[in-house]
Amino acid sequence: MAASSIAAAPAAVFSHRPWWRSRTTLVAAIVAVMVICHLTLSRTLTWPNSLVWHSLTHYLDNMQNWLAAEGDKTHPSIVYRVIHGISSALDALVRWLYHLLSKWLTWPATTVLGGLLSLRFGGRRAAAIMVASFAAFATLGLWDESMQTLALMLVAVALSLLVGVPLGVLAGRSDRFERMITPVLDAMQIVPAFAYLMPVVIFFSVGPAAAVITTMVYSVPPAVRITSLGIRSVPANTVEAATAIGSTGRQLLWKVQLPLARRLLLLSVNQTILFALSMVVIAGLINTEGGLGAPVTNGLNSNPALAILAGAAIVVMAIALDRVTEAIAERTDPARRHLDVAGRKRARVATVAALAAIAVTAALGHAFSAGAAYSRWTAQDWLLARVQSVLDYVQKPTTFLFNEITNPLGTFLVAHLLQPLDTFLVETPWFVTLAGLTAIAFILSGIRPAATTALMFALIGAIGEWRDAMDTFSQVLVATAIAVVLGIVLGVLAAESNRVSRVVRPINDILQTLPQLVYVIPFVYVFPISYVPGLIASVLYAFPVVVRLVERGVRDVAPPAVEAAGAFGATRLQVLVKVKIPLARDAIMLGINQGLIMVLAVVVIAGLVGSGALGYAVAAGLQRGQFGIGVVASIAILAMGIALDRVTRGNRGTAKGGQG
Amino acid sequence: MIGTPDVDLPRSELRAKTGCVAAVRDVSFDVRPGEVFVVMGLSGSGKSTLVRTLIRLIEPTAGRVEIDGHDVTAASREQLLRLRRHTSSMVFQHFGLLAHRTVLDNVAFGLEVQGVAKSERHARAAEVLKLVGLEDAASQFPDELSGGMQQRVGLARAFAVDPKVMLYDEPFSALDPLIRRDMQDEVIRLQHETGKTMVFITHDLPEALRLGDRIAIMRDGRIVQLGEPEDLVGSPADDYVANFIRDIPRSHVLTLRWIMRPPVDGERLDAPRVPVTTTVRDVVPRLANSEQPVLATEGDRVVGVVDREAVLRAIAGEGD
Amino acid sequence: MRKRLWGRPARLIVAAAALAGLAVLVAGTATARTTAAKANCGTVTLNEQAWTGSTANTYVAKYVLEKYLGCKVKVTDIAEIPVYQAMAQGKVDAVLEDWQHVAQYKQYATKQKSVVLEGSNGLTGHIGWFIPRYLLKKYPSFKTWKGLKGHESVFASPEAPQGMFLGGDPSYEQKDTQLIQALGLKLKHVTVGAETAEVARFSQLIAQKKPVIMYWWTPEYRNAEFDLVEVKLPARMKSCQDDGTVKAPLKDFRCAYSSYPLEKVFSSKFVKSGSPAVAVLKRFKWPSNSDQNLVSSWIAGEHMDAQKAAEKYVKSHMSAVNKWLGK
Repeated sequence: MAASSIAAAPAAVFSHRPWWRSRTTLVAAIVAVMVICHLTLSRTLTWPNSLVWHSLTHYLDNMQNWLAAEGDKTHPSIVYRVIHGISSALDALVRWLYHLLSKWLTWPATTVLGGLLSLRFGGRRAAAIMVASFAAFATLGLWDESMQTLALMLVAVALSLLVGVPLGVLAGRSDRFERMITPVLDAMQIVPAFAYLMPVVIFFSVGPAAAVITTMVYSVPPAVRITSLGIRSVPANTVEAATAIGSTGRQLLWKVQLPLARRLLLLSVNQTILFALSMVVIAGLINTEGGLGAPVTNGLNSNPALAILAGAAIVVMAIALDRVTEAIAERTDPARRHLDVAGRKRARVATVAALAAIAVTAALGHAFSAGAAYSRWTAQDWLLARVQSVLDYVQKPTTFLFNEITNPLGTFLVAHLLQPLDTFLVETPWFVTLAGLTAIAFILSGIRPAATTALMFALIGAIGEWRDAMDTFSQVLVATAIAVVLGIVLGVLAAESNRVSRVVRPINDILQTLPQLVYVIPFVYVFPISYVPGLIASVLYAFPVVVRLVERGVRDVAPPAVEAAGAFGATRLQVLVKVKIPLARDAIMLGINQGLIMVLAVVVIAGLVGSGALGYAVAAGLQRGQFGIGVVASIAILAMGIALDRVTRGNRGTAKGGQG
Repeated sequence: MIGTPDVDLPRSELRAKTGCVAAVRDVSFDVRPGEVFVVMGLSGSGKSTLVRTLIRLIEPTAGRVEIDGHDVTAASREQLLRLRRHTSSMVFQHFGLLAHRTVLDNVAFGLEVQGVAKSERHARAAEVLKLVGLEDAASQFPDELSGGMQQRVGLARAFAVDPKVMLYDEPFSALDPLIRRDMQDEVIRLQHETGKTMVFITHDLPEALRLGDRIAIMRDGRIVQLGEPEDLVGSPADDYVANFIRDIPRSHVLTLRWIMRPPVDGERLDAPRVPVTTTVRDVVPRLANSEQPVLATEGDRVVGVVDREAVLRAIAGEGD
Repeated sequence: MRKRLWGRPARLIVAAAALAGLAVLVAGTATARTTAAKANCGTVTLNEQAWTGSTANTYVAKYVLEKYLGCKVKVTDIAEIPVYQAMAQGKVDAVLEDWQHVAQYKQYATKQKSVVLEGSNGLTGHIGWFIPRYLLKKYPSFKTWKGLKGHESVFASPEAPQGMFLGGDPSYEQKDTQLIQALGLKLKHVTVGAETAEVARFSQLIAQKKPVIMYWWTPEYRNAEFDLVEVKLPARMKSCQDDGTVKAPLKDFRCAYSSYPLEKVFSSKFVKSGSPAVAVLKRFKWPSNSDQNLVSSWIAGEHMDAQKAAEKYVKSHMSAVNKWLGK
């Protein structure tokens, strides 16, 4: 006898509840109750002091001091010696790669290397993009910095994949492992880097190794997640066929699952690159060779225009690496691009010829002493002047832009949206807020997310961050709401029109990789009201991911459904509203979920430009050497992230049903 | 579950009670060497689960499977691998081909996992490809082939390891009807040429009748009837089976055994003789040409008499 | 296209390889000549902190060391706290302007002795509450904190209708939340974040001649431009506390910020290295706050390249530089 579970009953997505029991009404009712409590109960009922674990900060500080003391002993323990070994090896690796790209190859050969490798594996368009990016580094006058960053990124990305892909394979093959590792990955992406820079420095000292480790914390999760997705996306019937024919687990992995997951594996390379590049600036804070991060951190105070140019170089690098790896993924896929024997032979010859050409250029470069870094004509001064004039305009409070648009808009946002919400959340008695949030979580997603919410917000209170967390929470809610609305609108438009899609994609890429510290500066001047620049930074960082997911969701709606609706005479708008968007519901929910996580990822940056609260505490923790304060605030951010994630993800869970 | 009162619960109640469904239960059958054994049922009847439990692609929770004298259910990991590699082969509804490999490498895959050297497995794969008429497609990729050709690759892959038992899981239901017929012919031909034992899963009754030496009809995880095609058509076990075979032209399936009457004493025995295994349809021309009945024989012995009236009655009874 | 590009490969490869080998030989001999430099100083690593004054220090020192001692100076951009770890390990040699990181002094200089405090860089740092002069003209009572009482709403803003106190960068030492509370003022402490954000905020308010009161400090090259005046806070007493993150009774915060020398901090390894740069950097001292402000204003105000600004300063202030060089 054989038994197998099957999918549970379809979720009550389209249930027919009376209007007064619909989710919207219930949530509104809860909010109304909370408002009444807010208005009637005393405003001094904040989280009671007796329920706070005050010594946590102290313990954390002690722990850090102990770690530092351990590491500085003349005979450190074996753990430290191993870590020091890893650290020196990483330092050496990054420096070696940097020397390869600069001193050994010289700049002309480095350009040829990038161009020919892209040509060989990615085709002509990829080669053009690669060469153009090198030209951009030269034009911006940031060649050397770019090579430093490139060397660091290549090592960080390679190591992220080395760690992330095997973990992703495990997660793809085992549900239990995936369940175990998911919260860890969430934490790696939500906990602000500022909180762990100091421990990283204690273990890995300052330098390339520390920068690589910091970057990896952020860039390993996408590698794991997408690899797992790739393994899971291999058609079940192919896996079954290979099993039936007697493949061992290892044969199945190497001969079937990995080759067939190839596209998604390469997408994970792609995403790992983008995530790694978004850490350039923060990793630069603990690197002796800061690369493009140095002009950003420094330029912000003394030369914002230079910071913007360095930001542009980071974006160029990100987009070039993204497009080139994507082209390589497309062109080298044997399942899509079928090479015959002659073709394979030609490709081999081309590889050898390319290597030879690189060697020749390097030799010529040395012969004519072209130099390690490009240092001839650049347009840096000209560009700096242009950018500066824009900044000067932006900084003037007498312009039309400022007086008529941004200032009133910013004032409105703060006075009528952020400030009231903040006051409401901060001043409502804590137990009312806690109960209300839990109830809302229950209505939206069910019992487990509600329990998580209650637990997480209680934890926030217990570590003494209730007030700051409510402040941050209000801003996160507003930022997410704006990002989601913007993202859904743009995502739907992009799905409906290829032209919009073509315009939106590079903007998304820029916003995801341009360091927030760079683009937030103009907003600091244009919206000189605390909260608003941070809000804008969060929205700008979060909405691209919403756009991407919504666009894909709407585009992936099965053609038969669309066709059927068309056959009934539905207009394009009706098809969109009544068929595509409801069917893309899962993707849209995922967009909201991911948007939230992205907003939380910039809480610290937002804190630095006026949002204060938790983000401010984390930044202060690093910059004033107050490790404990930074970590405690980070825990609060993480707790908030987990609660919000579970609530928004809960919907996805029920829609899929109990397939486990 | 076995040994509890649940064992006899109807499916819907069992699901309500345990949250699980017994896909297959109380099924037992033997397949004879060289036989084509067809398992027929509608979707959800448990037939695909059944075939998977034979080589433990799905682990049976209870029961026993024996192939070629070996207890599959008790097999160790190595024994199971050996069984899958050498004894059995399976052909799937959705082909399960490897998109990143050429046709030749797909066919050689079973040999590759056995560890056969490259030149040897390629030679064998080329040989099998010729058998299914795809020798020209060896260096193409699966996505360049039509569905029918892809399934021929699937067939070739299964044959390449020279298994004793071939398992077919609805191999042709994703193909369009004309190609399906071709492929059925192909299976019949291969069966004749190689004489392998086959377990064939289908939801298509004409296909079952065409291919099967014996057919098991499944419903709700149980076998409701097991027999030769003419047994099913001639004496359906219950209304379910009867309903199933209603549209089948009985004359195409039933043999003379089902309509003959015993010879009456003193009846003339010089009438034309035909073997008793002849189908009703095939005897029609004979009867059409003469007023005489025909004699059904088994060996040299006359076992029955078939006259016009019996044939007409059999044909007229169709569609009841 | 690709196919044609890589036609006739074999001969091409041989030729390319031969050419490459030859060229490497040529290049090897060519580069060998260029590496000679003035020896004994070696490489000195200075850390530039994230404010303009620090850029001025670093690049002036860099210019002097490179020009007169033949050192090679590497500039790093490590954050303020991690840089202590870097100095402890000798990865950074010196920081030329440190704003009283007392906890780090204790940990690294006193306990570990891995860094050495080298005294003032000639500047006196002072934090305080500042308002623009036009505001003082309108409200002469704002000269001291007592005059602010009852007039808090003058500083109303969208995020603080009762009156806004513009707080400083979270990384800077401050106690304004406690101080406001201790003084019984009804101002709301609003942090706009990093220094850049604070400057953006108040420079716009000043450009519009609006009221503002804020956390600010000297030396700062823009102070003259903004024409700021300090609000007098209660006098300092013994138990006076300036760091808001320290747990202390509220009354200990009820005093003005102290003035303190801006410290030079060296790595112990650097001090022991015997490099001639050590002595020069020990003597490195700005003649006055206004000297650094001058260089800063060239860099940040006129967007002059830091290297060129340093050169300009050194050339026009040789007497100070000679003192550093021990001449």
